Amino acid sequence: MIQLIEVTKAFKNNVVLDRISMDFHDGELTVLIGPSGCGKTTTLKMINRLLSPTGGKIIIDGQNIESIDKVKLRRNMGYVIQQGGLFPHMTIRQNIEIIEKLEGKDEYQILKKTERLMEMVDMDPGEFLERYPTELSGGQQQRIGVIRALANDPEYVLLDEPFSALDPLTRSSLQDELTELHRKMGKTMIFVTHDMDEAIKIADRICIMKDGHILQYDTPEEILRRPANDFVANFVGFNRIWDSPEYIRVEDFMIREPVTCDAELTAKRCITKLTMHHVDTLLVTGNENRLMGIINRKSLYSNRQPEKPARDIMLPVKYTAHPEDSILDVLKMIDQTDVSNVPVVDDLGRLVGLLTNSNLVSTLSRQYLEEPTEEVLEND
Amino acid sequence: MIKMFAYFGAHSTQIWKLTLEHIEMTAIAVCIAILIGVPLGILISYVRKLDKPVIGAANVVQAIPSMALLGLGIPLLGIGVLPAVVMVIIYSLLPIVKNTYTGISGIDPQMVEAANGIGLTPRQVLTRVKIPMALPVIMAGVRISAVTAVGLMTMAAFIGAGGLGYLVFAGIRTTNNYQILAGANPACILALLVDFLMGLVEKLVTPISLQKTGGISRAQMKRKRKREKFTLAAALILICAIIAGGAINNMVSGRDKEITIGGKDFTEQFILVNLCSDYIEAHTDINCFRKENLGGSQVCYEALKKGEIDMYVDYTGTLYGSVLKHDGTDDMEGVYNTCVREMKKQNITLTRQCGFNNTYTLAVSHRIAKKYNLETIENLVDKSSQMHLGCSLEFQNRHDCMDALEKAYPGLKFRKISAMDGSPRFVALANKEVDVIDAFATDGMLLKYNLKVLKDEDHVFPPYYAVPCFSSDTLKKYPELREVVDKLAPKLTDEVMMKLNYQVDVKGREPKDVAREYLKREKLI
Repeated sequence: MIQLIEVTKAFKNNVVLDRISMDFHDGELTVLIGPSGCGKTTTLKMINRLLSPTGGKIIIDGQNIESIDKVKLRRNMGYVIQQGGLFPHMTIRQNIEIIEKLEGKDEYQILKKTERLMEMVDMDPGEFLERYPTELSGGQQQRIGVIRALANDPEYVLLDEPFSALDPLTRSSLQDELTELHRKMGKTMIFVTHDMDEAIKIADRICIMKDGHILQYDTPEEILRRPANDFVANFVGFNRIWDSPEYIRVEDFMIREPVTCDAELTAKRCITKLTMHHVDTLLVTGNENRLMGIINRKSLYSNRQPEKPARDIMLPVKYTAHPEDSILDVLKMIDQTDVSNVPVVDDLGRLVGLLTNSNLVSTLSRQYLEEPTEEVLEND
Repeated sequence: MIKMFAYFGAHSTQIWKLTLEHIEMTAIAVCIAILIGVPLGILISYVRKLDKPVIGAANVVQAIPSMALLGLGIPLLGIGVLPAVVMVIIYSLLPIVKNTYTGISGIDPQMVEAANGIGLTPRQVLTRVKIPMALPVIMAGVRISAVTAVGLMTMAAFIGAGGLGYLVFAGIRTTNNYQILAGANPACILALLVDFLMGLVEKLVTPISLQKTGGISRAQMKRKRKREKFTLAAALILICAIIAGGAINNMVSGRDKEITIGGKDFTEQFILVNLCSDYIEAHTDINCFRKENLGGSQVCYEALKKGEIDMYVDYTGTLYGSVLKHDGTDDMEGVYNTCVREMKKQNITLTRQCGFNNTYTLAVSHRIAKKYNLETIENLVDKSSQMHLGCSLEFQNRHDCMDALEKAYPGLKFRKISAMDGSPRFVALANKEVDVIDAFATDGMLLKYNLKVLKDEDHVFPPYYAVPCFSSDTLKKYPELREVVDKLAPKLTDEVMMKLNYQVDVKGREPKDVAREYLKREKLI
């Protein structure tokens, strides 16, 4: 695990990082993001000691990196920069294998590994190994850059805006490949970018920085759903979440206090309640707010006994949603079952909210509206 | 044109030998310049504080005239190959240092950061990334240096290091254009060849991917590179062979009993070097290494003092006036005795004077002599305001020449004085660009251009009897030399020398052949 503790970096009088502390969790792909000058690249370069902090310390697996030999540290830490940083005078193979060769590893083993890595990013070793970087497209060069970072089997991989110079299509496929590599190899990766789409797409965890401070360090989902402040919200973009609708949870847009009635309430009073609240359904709850059934106008009116308790009139609930379900799940359910009201029930069967057709329509239409006046997706 | 090729043909062995010498010296100089220049360039690309002083210093050195640098080097390094090579090294440094510095500091900092970031040590960053990436630029610098060095190395002949410059200098002295071309042409071809070879190196060190392919395929490119590599390897082996050959040659010849005989840079001296060498070799078992064309008296004198040469022939007047800084006198014996006495302090022994007095004279064309009715130098005084004097640099600067002349005849004021080198002043006189020139009394050119020599009735110029100067150590080691040389000296009279000079200067024959022929004819060898 890499830990930053109160790390400060100043160039002369210009403080670019101001006492930041954070942990990079093992096996995760962490994205550092922020506007230019926020200190994200500086943070990255301090981790492989291309820069030294002016204050605080950086700990890797319990050891202060200042006490680790620079070369040794870096060889255990892949490094990818924009356009790959491939050496133009070396072939692809020499570029990939340079560190392993210097480490004196077995030639045959090195080649096997190189070929395996090439195949992982869909490049034919036979075709490319003996070529020079300039003979490759930008995307291919960048793939080689990533492979080179992985070749010496490091525990950590640092990537400094590796895909920013690529066209959108290539960038997208490289993001997919990187995610795939990360999933397969389980390396701890730290990725610097200024592209929020990229961050949300690949990150396990995103750290949003500004002016040398960390504004929010969280999972993509949390950042989308609960931006820590206006800057983050602005930076993330109001409608950004619609690019990842799976992150929109039922609890974000359900009606939190649906009209309920006790199981013992008489039919007559039920009708009064419906009329009073201008609703079509009552949710019948029992002990500890447990959902027991549902009463709608139709079932009430077909009942001839005004004193009959609700429990005898109510209909069983066929479909419920969980607050953690995504909007996609709910839409699918509604589409398949033709229900118009879906109660939201937690793990213990307690009623926590209600989804209605009109409620869904208003939520879905939000993405087409300009700036919401209230806080994003916080529907109370 | 045909005459030129005939000359080349007749002197092919000499031209070839000098070409090899030239290649050897140039190759050594450039190699050493690379060994110094590249690390220096690398150093200043790391220690940025040093870049301006070092490049500035290299620029200043580049601006010093090569001739001056050679002259200044004589007291320190003496004459011969060493100072010549050192001079060329100094001149070659700038392009190499500059290009190394530019090449290395021009590398994209991102690339260097990537190299550091993936875990190369600083040394590996230098050797595996910086140097290979800067190599095309460095080689471009080496290429400039090498081509310049070939041309510059012709100056080596000025201090007796040989090389193709020998032919150029000798040709200028004797106004032999074919001889000049015999030196200049191979030097030119050599320069083009070096340019071509270095161009190949430059191309080979540039990664295939960064070269302009000009539409040829990779396979063709690879074949082409293979051919280029082969050509280069062949050239390299050849150069090594030449250097090795030179070294072995030196070792072999170094074992014998040998003395080095030097000579100044005009015809009479070329002949004297050969006369003395042939005569000594015939009458002793000592080998003579001939080091002709060593510039003026100062060069030879310094060389003798430093033991670079064992003997040369100078003139009493020159020693007396120019070296020992005495004022002019007409007493032949007095001058000689003073020279012997005072030179002894410098560990130099003068043997018996030769039979000829090659003093300075002034000469005019017969047309001018007639027009102004000139017979003696004194006659010049009244007419001098209409005269343009063309004289050698030495004449103008020595106080027993120009100064003595002005002292003797205060009314003497030339309209204009143009100082020029050796033989061109005869040409200038023939072309009527100047009216009066200085000349040596035994100069064959006087005959060639049919000039009127003005009599020195007032003995303005000191006696210039030729006198062999030995290093005293050499005479101690080989005492037999004195006796042998004493026998030859009186045989060389004004008449003999004038004829020999004429053979070389006017008939265009080789000093070596002329000397040998004379010795044989007179049954001296």
